[in-house]
Amino acid sequence: MRKIKKPLMYLFLIVASFVSIFPFIWMMISSTNKSVEVTRGSLTLGSNLLVNYRNLVSNTNFWQVFGNSAFVAIITTVLGIIASSLAGYGFELYRSKSRDRVFSIILMSMMVPFAALMIPLYRLISQMGLINNYLAIILPGISTAFLIFFFRQNSKMFPKEIIEAARIDGLGEVRIFFSIYMPVMKSAYSAAGIITFMSTWNNFLWPLIVLQSPNKMTLPILISSLGSAYTPDFGVIMLSIVISTLPTGVLFFLMQKNFVQGMLGSVK
Amino acid sequence: MKKDKKGTLHQRVNRLGWGFVLLSIVSIGVFVFYPMIQSFITSFKSGMGNNLEFNGLDNYKRLLTDQNFRIALKNTLIYLVVQVPIMLLLALVISVMLNSTKLKFRGLFRVAIFLPSITSLVAYSTIFKSLFTNDGLMNKLLLSVGLISEQINWLADPFWAKITIIIAITWRWTGYNMIFYLAALQNIDTQVYEAAELDGANAIQKFFNITVPLLKPIILFTSITSTIGTLQLFDEVVNITGGGPANATMTLSQYIYNLSFMYTPNFGYAATVSYTIVVLVVGLSLIQLKYGGDKREEN
Amino acid sequence: MKKILSLLTILAMALTIVACGTKEDSNSDEQKITIWAWDKAFNIAALEEAKASYLKENPDVEIEIVEYAQDDLMQKLNTGLNSGVTEGLPNITLIEDYRIAGILASYPDAIMNLSDIVKYDDFAQYKVANMTVDGKQYGVPFDSGVTAMFYRTDLIEEAGFTVDEIDKGITWDRFIEIGKAVKEKTGVAMLTLDPSDFGLVRTMMQSAGTWYTNEEGKLDLIGNEKLEKILATYNKLMESGIVNQHTDWAQFVGAVNEGKAATVPTGCWFASSISQEESQSGTWRIAPVPKLADVADSTGYSNSGGSSWYVLNKVGNNELAADFLAKTFAGDVDLINTLVEKINLVTTYLPAATAENNTKENAYFSNQKIFELFGEWTEKIPPVKYGMNTYAIEDLLEIEYQKIDTSGISIEEVLKNTDAQAKSQLGIE
Repeated sequence: MRKIKKPLMYLFLIVASFVSIFPFIWMMISSTNKSVEVTRGSLTLGSNLLVNYRNLVSNTNFWQVFGNSAFVAIITTVLGIIASSLAGYGFELYRSKSRDRVFSIILMSMMVPFAALMIPLYRLISQMGLINNYLAIILPGISTAFLIFFFRQNSKMFPKEIIEAARIDGLGEVRIFFSIYMPVMKSAYSAAGIITFMSTWNNFLWPLIVLQSPNKMTLPILISSLGSAYTPDFGVIMLSIVISTLPTGVLFFLMQKNFVQGMLGSVK
Repeated sequence: MKKDKKGTLHQRVNRLGWGFVLLSIVSIGVFVFYPMIQSFITSFKSGMGNNLEFNGLDNYKRLLTDQNFRIALKNTLIYLVVQVPIMLLLALVISVMLNSTKLKFRGLFRVAIFLPSITSLVAYSTIFKSLFTNDGLMNKLLLSVGLISEQINWLADPFWAKITIIIAITWRWTGYNMIFYLAALQNIDTQVYEAAELDGANAIQKFFNITVPLLKPIILFTSITSTIGTLQLFDEVVNITGGGPANATMTLSQYIYNLSFMYTPNFGYAATVSYTIVVLVVGLSLIQLKYGGDKREEN
Repeated sequence: MKKILSLLTILAMALTIVACGTKEDSNSDEQKITIWAWDKAFNIAALEEAKASYLKENPDVEIEIVEYAQDDLMQKLNTGLNSGVTEGLPNITLIEDYRIAGILASYPDAIMNLSDIVKYDDFAQYKVANMTVDGKQYGVPFDSGVTAMFYRTDLIEEAGFTVDEIDKGITWDRFIEIGKAVKEKTGVAMLTLDPSDFGLVRTMMQSAGTWYTNEEGKLDLIGNEKLEKILATYNKLMESGIVNQHTDWAQFVGAVNEGKAATVPTGCWFASSISQEESQSGTWRIAPVPKLADVADSTGYSNSGGSSWYVLNKVGNNELAADFLAKTFAGDVDLINTLVEKINLVTTYLPAATAENNTKENAYFSNQKIFELFGEWTEKIPPVKYGMNTYAIEDLLEIEYQKIDTSGISIEEVLKNTDAQAKSQLGIE
């Protein structure tokens, strides 16, 4: 019985992987082609990579924008996961009726479509004098109900006995959080880090509205503008997309070993 | 760090509790709740652009006769009910497979299946569109294998267009949810499985009797966040089918966007439609929390 | 613990740097204008030329050109205008002609009245019609979206028809006839359409001088015989088996480049997309769009798209912005002439219509003087007021139109239902 299952499993995973990768590979191939070849759906490697690259950097301030995106994404991610994990841990480990009620209200904030919040938020940001300032993107992004919820659920799976033991040993609460909780929850932090980085990196609508100067723009806005033309250059567009996908891909690659280590190892 | 030893243990815990969550509460309060309340007030106004005037419950009444709204609501609910369970089950199964230490090439599979969620929207919607045209690869494949006898009009047939969207969303977000499950699986003690195996449990029994119950908090998390995500679905619909054909795939979020930016803007009514999403999400989330949450939460 | 503390300190420092961001004040004395537009190769390129030309006479002015995707630009504009926050809005922006009436009505006083600064008689009338409210004009017209029927001479001739007949202008009924023959004899579809895009309907409407709404902005659906005949013709076209389907812009361009369509009735701006396929050079020609046989006032001239420049009233130095536009797009014939060659501009600025570059022959298009023809046709486009709800009404119409197939309703019923929905949804009459 076991012998049949294994090959089936491999087959399933191979098909799933192929289906998952295919568009990505097409994307990379397209970045080496001319626009006409891309619209034809060509699957062969072209010779236009350098030309596309040259067009991209001479027609736009691509690398400056790339740097902007990186700056905003890194700061928001680091601050975000620290603030949200503190909150998720707090809601779960120091339970109280009133805090649980607050938690439910916070969850509600995930449920409003951003389009509905945009205009009042824009007015608020303007009143704070933060239009065209990266803080307008970072501050609202520091705490999201999504991450708090995520960390709270993960904290439910955290073995409370370890904390009891640490308290008996005389460790302070904050110390417990930083020296025990954080290392043990490495896999959760890695997941949260990747997800947050990804969503900040790809964040489009709010930065579009709140940023004004061309030299402050973030990547998604730039890539969007490339596509809005009477005759778009699809080769250049694909190349810009490939480059903009690299950071998240690299980050995932680096972080994924944290999904592999068991918990037993890190506790000891 | 000095603690206030004068308070009782309960008070100390309480202060700590608030301390840990304070920054988040303030941040969300200012940047989400304040605009949310303003937006709720706007949902009672109507008018073009800046000329918004109160018109009581008229906006909400308008929802009842609005054909576009009804279609968008129906579509959104169909996506929710069909797509979310399929995707979560798929993600769960895959993550369990990839958690087994005996499987080779796990790293590669993991990266591959996660890739769709970082593939750019523009790229994969372009590909989906060209794969699913009448003479595209998808039809060619199905015809050659004999599963269908004539071309399926994936993108211009009201029924098949919805299927295309569902396929697209599942393709994109399965890997994303897989990550959450994989992370959580790391915290399950392998000894539990070993004990079960000694008792003679097979893979399916282990899955349903051990894995799923232990992962309940995370499953609940992905279920609620996927519900919210699908109810707010926008990107795929706008980029792959444009909401068409004739709004057959349009979602509530797209309708809100149209009301705000495509047509002559009526931000008041757009806010009204937004709040129907809120009501739906709150309702569905409460149901899920009730059935999937801790027993302790019911005191 | 230490690692985290040091990380936090670095972040705190970074944040303070961010917080001391540059705050750009715009006051009305400043010699700076910011302009928003889309399309690097077309509108932005035009702005760069205009900027260079203006700076020669006004070297102390600072001109900043910012590029956004069109939909993104409209979002920013609407958000800014609606929230009342003028900080961050541009002095000049490009807006598509179908959308301007909505903007003018939604944000009264937001757009600057240029009636005293620009000579509107110098522009094609159909463009001016849409930027006029209560006798006042509000923008500077830019590119013509005059439509042409681009067609493949080789495929048409292979099916047994002559270039002469097509060039003189045919009717839609004849178009369908020819299309069937072309499909039979060459295997190629006559045209390629996106089933959820009623652009062709719009083209037909304007060619006959009608629209979804009338001059006063009231619904003109029920009893609109021209529209009924247009929808009937459109339906006949879709049922005739001569249409190739595509689902987005990239596929549209791809289909044409790959030779899947014998004709392309669309705006003149499509010429650049066609001509990027070198192998088809010399096999294309342009002709007026087909007419509607049994409709009075039906012409072979129409418009698809096209945009104009607008000055925002309450932002910075709007007088300077108006002066910029007046001296460039509304006054500089040489500039326009350069743009004809550089970006394939088809202008609506009549004094420039006879300028030199317009009379050049184009080898790709069988040596026709395409810009001369475009210019001629631009003047003949029937002026039509697009009103404020074009896209909204069209969406409703598309839903009802589908029911012809699924529920077998008639075209009159389609229009009646659309009218009812439009009245209850959009509050218009």
